[in-house]
Amino acid sequence: MSNGVHEIEDAALLFVFGYNGADSHPIVARRIVRAKQKGATIICCDPRRIETARIADMHLQLRNGSNLALVNSLAHVIIEEGLTDDAFIAAHSTGFEELKELVKKYSPEAVSERTQISPRDIRRAARLYATSGRSMILYGMGVCQFAQAVNVVKGLANLAIMTGNFGRWGVGIGPVRGQNNVQGACDMGALPNSYPGYQNVTVPEIQAKFEKAWGVKLPNKAGIPLTQVPHYVLHEPEEKKIRAYYIFGEDPAQSDPDLPEVREALSKIELVILQDIYMNKTGQFADVVLPSTGWNEHDGVYSCCDRGFQRIRKLIDPPADADVLTDWDIISRISTAMGYPMKYSNTEEIWNEVISLCPSFVGATYEKLEKYGNIQWPCRSTDMSDKGTSFLHKDGKFANPDGKDRFSSIDWQPPTELENDEYPLILSTCREVGHYSVRTMSGNCRLLRNLEDEPGWVQMNPELCEELNVKHGELVKILSKRGSCVARCLPTDRVKKQAVYMTYQWWIGACNELTIASLDPISNTPEYKYCACRVEKIADQAWAEKYVLDEYSKIRADMGIEVGKKGGKAA
Amino acid sequence: MNSFVQGDPLLCIGCRTCMIACVVAHEGKRIYEIDPDGYDFHPKLKVVKTWLVSVPVQCKHCENPACQAVCQSGAISTVNGAVIIDQDKCIGCKACADACPFGAVRMAALGFKTNPDGTPRAVANKCDLCQGVDGGPACKRVCPTAALRLVEREDVDQIVARKRVNSVLTSLQP
Amino acid sequence: MPVKQIQSTCAYCGAGCQIMFSVDQEANKILEAVPAQGRTNDGTLCLKGHYGWDYINDPQILTKRLKKPMIRKGGKGSPLEPVSWDEAVRYVAERLTNIKNQYGPDSVMCTGSARGPGNEPNYLMQKFARAAIGTNNVDHCARI
Repeated sequence: MSNGVHEIEDAALLFVFGYNGADSHPIVARRIVRAKQKGATIICCDPRRIETARIADMHLQLRNGSNLALVNSLAHVIIEEGLTDDAFIAAHSTGFEELKELVKKYSPEAVSERTQISPRDIRRAARLYATSGRSMILYGMGVCQFAQAVNVVKGLANLAIMTGNFGRWGVGIGPVRGQNNVQGACDMGALPNSYPGYQNVTVPEIQAKFEKAWGVKLPNKAGIPLTQVPHYVLHEPEEKKIRAYYIFGEDPAQSDPDLPEVREALSKIELVILQDIYMNKTGQFADVVLPSTGWNEHDGVYSCCDRGFQRIRKLIDPPADADVLTDWDIISRISTAMGYPMKYSNTEEIWNEVISLCPSFVGATYEKLEKYGNIQWPCRSTDMSDKGTSFLHKDGKFANPDGKDRFSSIDWQPPTELENDEYPLILSTCREVGHYSVRTMSGNCRLLRNLEDEPGWVQMNPELCEELNVKHGELVKILSKRGSCVARCLPTDRVKKQAVYMTYQWWIGACNELTIASLDPISNTPEYKYCACRVEKIADQAWAEKYVLDEYSKIRADMGIEVGKKGGKAA
Repeated sequence: MNSFVQGDPLLCIGCRTCMIACVVAHEGKRIYEIDPDGYDFHPKLKVVKTWLVSVPVQCKHCENPACQAVCQSGAISTVNGAVIIDQDKCIGCKACADACPFGAVRMAALGFKTNPDGTPRAVANKCDLCQGVDGGPACKRVCPTAALRLVEREDVDQIVARKRVNSVLTSLQP
Repeated sequence: MPVKQIQSTCAYCGAGCQIMFSVDQEANKILEAVPAQGRTNDGTLCLKGHYGWDYINDPQILTKRLKKPMIRKGGKGSPLEPVSWDEAVRYVAERLTNIKNQYGPDSVMCTGSARGPGNEPNYLMQKFARAAIGTNNVDHCARI
C-alpha cells in the first residue's frame, strides 16, 4: 500500500474497488467504518452488496468482469469535466496525452451497458473522487484476480495521479495484501524477477552486488512464476520441464486454479519436497516431507500489508514428541549439504544480512522493531530517529528512473471464459471470514471450525434459487468445464442473479476444482473471479449428506488422523 | 429496568466474532484443551445479514417478557436484571421461541441434555447478559468495530429525550 | 503456574494485528490471546486473532501435525516413512543435485511462503534457489 492502514480513517473519500475488507481483513474494514464515522464519503465498486456497500454513499454494483471499462470511464469524466490536477500531472507524470486519446471512447454512455451502471452514477462518482481533496483508493482481489488485472491497477493509479492524490497523508492507492506475510515474501525476493528489496535480477550492477555478497555466480534470467508450474511440467518440451519442486508453507493442490491439472502436474514431477507444519493435499504427492515449527514456535519478522515490519516471537516449544526444525534451519542444512554452506545461529543474524543488502530496509533493525513495534519501509538509516515511512511518493517522487509516474493507456478486455448455454452462470471465488488460506491452520481451530465447516456455501440470488428449486442449506452440485463439487445453497439478495460465489477454503466444496487457470500476463494471477459454471439441484439429499460425511472422513483419514477420532462435523 | 445489548448496523461488519465470544464466555477457556467435540457451540446471539443491514440479534430482556408469559414449565424468570431460562426446567415446547417478537430465542440441542436414546435434547437458548462472567457481556467486549453496546436505563432516557425534542421541532416546521 | 505475557503479530492476514498471548511456559501452553496496541489494529482483533491459535495443540480436526521427516522410500505411490533429519537432508540434497546436474538449474522450482514462517526463511529460500541451485525459479502464493 502506498499509504498506512492507520491513514485510511483520515481520507475525505474512500474509493473501495473489488475489496471486501469485512471478510478478508476485518481490522482494515474497521478503518473504513471509522472513516465513515469521521465523515468520509465512501464509494464502493463491487458486484456484490458487501458490508462496505451497505454503508457507502454510492454503491456502483458493476457487472462482473467490467473493471477496466469502468475505470477508464471515470478517467474520461475527470478529464472531460476539467477536474484534473494539471500542475501535478505536468510535474510528476508522463503519457497523459496518450491516455486522453484512449479514454475518449469510454464515455459513461458508452460503457453503461457493459458495466450495468448508469452514466449519471459514473459521472457522480468521478466528480466525488476528483474533488474531495483527499481521496484514497483501496483495492483487493476483485481487481487482481482477473486475466486483466495489472492494467486495472494501473488504471486506478491513473485516477490517483491525474487528481494529485499521491504522496500525502490519507490519499494514495492501497492494494490490501491478503495473506499475513505476502508483503514479506515479496519484500524478501521470493519472486522470479527480483532479489530482496525489489532489486531486479536482470540489472547487472545489482547482480554483481549479490554475487559479491553471496560469493557465487548468479543467473541473470528471470525465473518461472509459480502459477505456470503446471504448464512447465505438462506442456513444455523436455529440456524446459520442471523436474523438482520444493514447496514451502503452501498447498498448491488446494489453492491453485484448475485442481485436476495441478494434480496431474504434481504427480508427474520427479521430486516434490513439502516443508510444512500440517499434512495437506499437496503432501499426497510429496516424495519428501520436512516438518517445521509453526507460528508461535519461532522468532522472526512479518511485513504487514502497508509495508510494516513487525516482530513475531516464539511463545512455546514444539510438542515434545515432534522432531521438527525451524524453516531457516532446514533450508540451511540442505544448502550446506549441497555444497553451499549457510550458517546462522538465529533469525536476527539472517535479518541483519537482509537489511545490509536492501537500501530500503537498512534501518529496520531488530533493536528498532523492539523499541517502536512497527517500522514501515523505506527506512534507510540505522539512526534511531528514522522510524520508517507512512506514505510513499512524498513530493510526487516515483520509483521510475525519471522520478515520474507513467500513465497507462489500455483498453478493457472481456474475461477469458464467458457464460454459455451449458454453463450459464459466472463463478467468482471469495473468502470465508473465519477461515484462512487452505485452512490447515484455521480448520484445526475448534471455534473457527464450529462457526463454519465443510462443505461450505455457494451464495446464490433468491430468484436463481427459486428457478432451480433449491432452498437454504440444501446441498447442490456446482459444475464447470473442468470439474465439479458439492456445497450448500445460501440464498442472498446481496449477489446478482447472473453470478454465484464460493469461498475457496473448503476441501469438499473445493471451488478450485472449477476455476480456470487463465493468468494475467504480467502478474500471473489466475482469473479466480470469473469462469462459467452451472448449479444443479441434487434430488437425493440424504445421499448428498452422506456423501459429504463420507468425504470428510476420507479427507481426515488421508491427512493422517486416527480412525475413530471425533472432530469432523460437516455441519 | 433491565439492560440489553444492542448492535448498530452502521458499525457492524458481520464478522461474527461476537458469536464465538458468546460460546467462550459460557463454556470457559477449557474449550482450547478438551476434545474438539466435547463442548456445545450454540451462540446466544445471531448475526443477520440482509440487503440493508448486518447486525447481531439478541434478547431485549423485556420487562414483561412474552417468552415468560407462554412458558408452561416456569423455566423463564428475571434474575439480577436479566431474563433467564432455566434450561433444566425447559421442556422444549418451543412456545417461547414462537412468542418472542425479536427472534431472539433459538432451540439448541445442548450436549448436557440428552434424550433417553442418548441424542442431544433441544432446549430454549438465548442471551443471559453473561451472568456471572467477569467484565460483562463478552460480545460487546470483543467487537472490533465497537458496534455493540449495553443499553441501560439512562441510555433509553436519553434516546427518548432526544426524540421528544425532535418531535417538537418537526411539528413547528411549516 | 507462572504465566508470561508475550506480544506477537497475528499470522492470519495482512492487517498485521498485535496480539498479547498469555503463556504458561512451564506447561508449554498458550492460555489466551487478547488484543494488544499495534499501529494497524489499535487494540482490536477479529475472530481469527482472538480464536485462531489452538491449532498449535494439534487437535486433529482436519489434518494432523507433521512431527517427523518422512520419505517415500519405495518411490512414488509407496507410503511415507519416518526417517532421521540427517537422512532426510541427505536425500533431498542428493536428489536435487542429481536433477540439477542432469537437467540444469532451471529444472528446479522453489517456493517462498506468504504465511507463517516469516521473512528470514523466505530470504534464505530465495538465496538457496539463486545461490545454491543457480535459478531464479522462486515464487510464492501471492495470488490467492
